[in-house]
Amino acid sequence: MRSMVEKRLGATHPRMTIMSGPTREADFADLVDDPAPAHVAREPRPGAPLRGYSHSVEIGQVRMVHGAAAMLAMSVLADSGIEHSRGQYHNPAMFTPLVSSTLSILASLDGAARSETSAHPLRLASYGIAMVVGLVGTAFHVHNITKKPGGFSWENLFYQAPIGAPAALSLSGLLGLAAEGIRDEKPGESPKLLGLPAAPALAGLTALGLLGTTAEVSLLHFRGNFQNPLMYLPVALPPIAAALTAEAALRPHKRPRPQAKLWLGITAALGVAGVAAHAYGTHRYSGGWKNWRQNLVDGPPIPAPPAFSGLALAGFAALALLERHGDD
Amino acid sequence: MSSDPFERPRAADGRAPDVFKMGGWIPMRQNRDGDEVDFAIVGTGAGGGTLAARLAEKGFSVVAFDAGPYFRPLEDFASDETAQEKLYWNDPRVVEGADPIVMGGKNSGKTVGGSMVHFAMVSLRFRPEWFKSRSTLGYGADWPIGWEEMWRYYDQVEKDLSISGPINYPWGPPRPRYPYRPHPLNAAAEVLARGCEAMGMKWTPTPLATVSAPRGEAHPCVYRGFCRFGCSTNAKQSTLNTYIPRAIRAGAEIRDLAMVGRIETDARDRATGVHYHRDGRWRFQKARNVIVAGYAVESPRLLLNSATDRHRHGLANGSGLVGKYLMTQPNQAVYGKSKDEIRWNKGPPSLAITEHWNYDDRKDFDGGYCWMGQGPLPIEWAKTVTASRGIWGDELRLAMQDYNYQVGVKMVGECMPSEANTVTLADQKDRYGLPVAKVTFGWSDNDKALIRHALDQMEMSLEAAGVTDLFRQEEDANHLGGTVRMGDDRRTSVVDADCRSWDVPNLFVCDGSVFPTVGGVNPSLTIQAIALRTADRIEQLAARGDI
Ligand SMILES: Cc1cc2nc3c(=O)[nH]c(=O)nc-3n(C[C@H](O)[C@H](O)[C@H](O)COP(=O)(O)OP(=O)(O)OC[C@H]3O[C@@H](n4cnc5c(N)ncnc54)[C@H](O)[C@@H]3O)c2cc1C
Ligand code: SF4
Repeated sequence: MRSMVEKRLGATHPRMTIMSGPTREADFADLVDDPAPAHVAREPRPGAPLRGYSHSVEIGQVRMVHGAAAMLAMSVLADSGIEHSRGQYHNPAMFTPLVSSTLSILASLDGAARSETSAHPLRLASYGIAMVVGLVGTAFHVHNITKKPGGFSWENLFYQAPIGAPAALSLSGLLGLAAEGIRDEKPGESPKLLGLPAAPALAGLTALGLLGTTAEVSLLHFRGNFQNPLMYLPVALPPIAAALTAEAALRPHKRPRPQAKLWLGITAALGVAGVAAHAYGTHRYSGGWKNWRQNLVDGPPIPAPPAFSGLALAGFAALALLERHGDD
Repeated sequence: MSSDPFERPRAADGRAPDVFKMGGWIPMRQNRDGDEVDFAIVGTGAGGGTLAARLAEKGFSVVAFDAGPYFRPLEDFASDETAQEKLYWNDPRVVEGADPIVMGGKNSGKTVGGSMVHFAMVSLRFRPEWFKSRSTLGYGADWPIGWEEMWRYYDQVEKDLSISGPINYPWGPPRPRYPYRPHPLNAAAEVLARGCEAMGMKWTPTPLATVSAPRGEAHPCVYRGFCRFGCSTNAKQSTLNTYIPRAIRAGAEIRDLAMVGRIETDARDRATGVHYHRDGRWRFQKARNVIVAGYAVESPRLLLNSATDRHRHGLANGSGLVGKYLMTQPNQAVYGKSKDEIRWNKGPPSLAITEHWNYDDRKDFDGGYCWMGQGPLPIEWAKTVTASRGIWGDELRLAMQDYNYQVGVKMVGECMPSEANTVTLADQKDRYGLPVAKVTFGWSDNDKALIRHALDQMEMSLEAAGVTDLFRQEEDANHLGGTVRMGDDRRTSVVDADCRSWDVPNLFVCDGSVFPTVGGVNPSLTIQAIALRTADRIEQLAARGDI
């Protein structure tokens, strides 16, 4: 919020930047020449709303959701980069997620850096592409499994192209679109995501994303036989955050949700701790870190766990939005 | 780099090699020759190594001898087929009969850990009926143990080895989930699977004794396919890196490079200890009980070499059956060429299997068989191509260029026990001055019918999977069994259900030689299950003063 005030006032009245409004007589004197002093800015002018201000409050959430989209896209980029190069890009389509996730990251960085008040078509396009590529990828991966001997067997779910991975790209796209939706808020209306009220939709999306990610982790940690008890954590804990976020989506009242925040915080931390755990796991492969070129590919995927942190970030944004836009 | 494992014993001076650490050691309790230990065990393979661990864990004092060296997997196992011949029992043996068995790498190891150090890790349970094949299926002989009891010991050994197996095993009565998840299929395994699916047969990822995820200090499998030449990552769960370290931790002593030449017995027909050769001289270890676990050739040989005036035909040989009923498993194969690259050497050789013909009795011969994927390394493959197709020189060189496109399946079948197939003593002596084993073998008509059936079926399956240029490897055999068979009648068997000699009550034989029948699956899991059972039985016998 302050940054917006700064922008308006900073150039001519540097001192004002530390003040929330005129408080002393001398200050009012200073403000005489100012075309839009801070205290005036509080009152939206009829017919020409000061959209900048209303956004100034939510740009934080917009950034968070862009951040979430970026984190998921980075996970996808790193993961599909490793997995598809292991598959030697035998199908040129295997480059698509790399391109799309890169676009999604760029869009997110751009989106997070800008405080503009409307959605940008290029960002929208990047996110749209991510959504579609993720969907197509999922279909591809499912198709690949059905072609293998054994079809939809546990073994193919363990080792064939993972069904959940492309979905993460779609999720990144959806989150990006959510960020754009919030940014594009019309005055007096609560923001929308694909036509739905953005706050509960984002909460719902987060909950689904968390559950989907947990399902994939469960499958892969089962494949790894939960050989280290820590492997149970990302199976056991994120569903709690998912449940609390889902509750917020289903009952979108305007109220603080400290429990949900706590568990989202734990989930976010889990994503970071997961990187360390996977790095430790990599060391248990033959040759350990000295043999990193092989073990980065064969060992537990180091870039995967932050997907949880990204989703938690989206969850935080959803909760913050609900606190403002939730039902009374 | 550690010292040469063949030069002098490594398990000495109160320590033994730590197989998980380069140059590492673990403390080991040692006994003097004059100390009368509870058990002297000859051989540290599937039978002996497993027993050493369980008996030591039950509080018995144990010394286990192995003629072979104590390898350090991380250092001693080279990715070199020829160098790794050092794992095998290559000491001289005389082979004869209608179908002489090729001895050595195909069937016998000589290292601490036994043949499991270079086994292919296929870990299968017997079909339940095989424990009573005479009474339920009408051939072979009944075991003195029932399948339900064995099922419990299979559970235990599968846990101890962290077998990586399929979520659901398609044949036989339910079994608990395998401790580790199955390995991914390689292309060769996929061909097997497609062939089976085309023929309407079930197939499954093979339960393997190599871990698909880290286990303790063992790394997960890296799929380089050197399994039969010594696994240098410790992914393979052999006796060497499972039961042997457990045995030492529990107080057992392992003696490597220690060849047992003779079991001593007294006038009361009780074993009193073993004569063994170590550090260039013969020594004698006193023991209250002796367990022989040298596998189906060396175990009968040792019993025969331990003859005395009171046991003229060899120790424990009142029945006259020591060395008789030798079995080896048919190991024929069909190979061909795929249009896609296969690279069959990548990964453990047998990642997929079908046991269809072990469980389907609609055939006109006795016994069953399974077949599994294959991945011979180049030298072995060149030998197979020359032997089976008779090609040499330039033609062979050209054929070898197809190596990465080659694919095939190999059977493990049930050989009928026949009294005519034997291990006896030859006139020749080995480097210790001990008479070597003479191995006499010929396939029965039933065996031949089974092999024909299997070759036809395997060929059809490969054809159905689109493999071309097919050819058969008609002569091959692997795992051994029989020669010291167990039973519940002292006239028709050498040991009882507890692997205890009928004649010498403190002498046990516990390894692949006690099998009355071999079934149509690889034997080591069954050997280890028997060893676990024997350890429990010994504990019970000891508790009631019967030992
Ligand atoms: C190449 C190969 C692949 C195989 N693959 C499989 C497989 O995939 N699945 C499966 O189930 N089985 C497999 N087997 C078979 C399996 O390894 C054996 O059946 C099993 O190890 C036999 O156990 P054992 O205890 O009877 O004898 P071993 O494990 O052979 O142990 C016998 C030990 O006794 C020692 N010994 C013998 N005589 C003396 C003596 N007089 N003094 C001192 N020491 C002595 C030997 O040095 C040896 O180390 C394979 C075998 C080979 C050779
Ligand atoms: S393929 Fe696996 S089990 Fe075989 S030698 Fe290599 S690491 Fe060991």
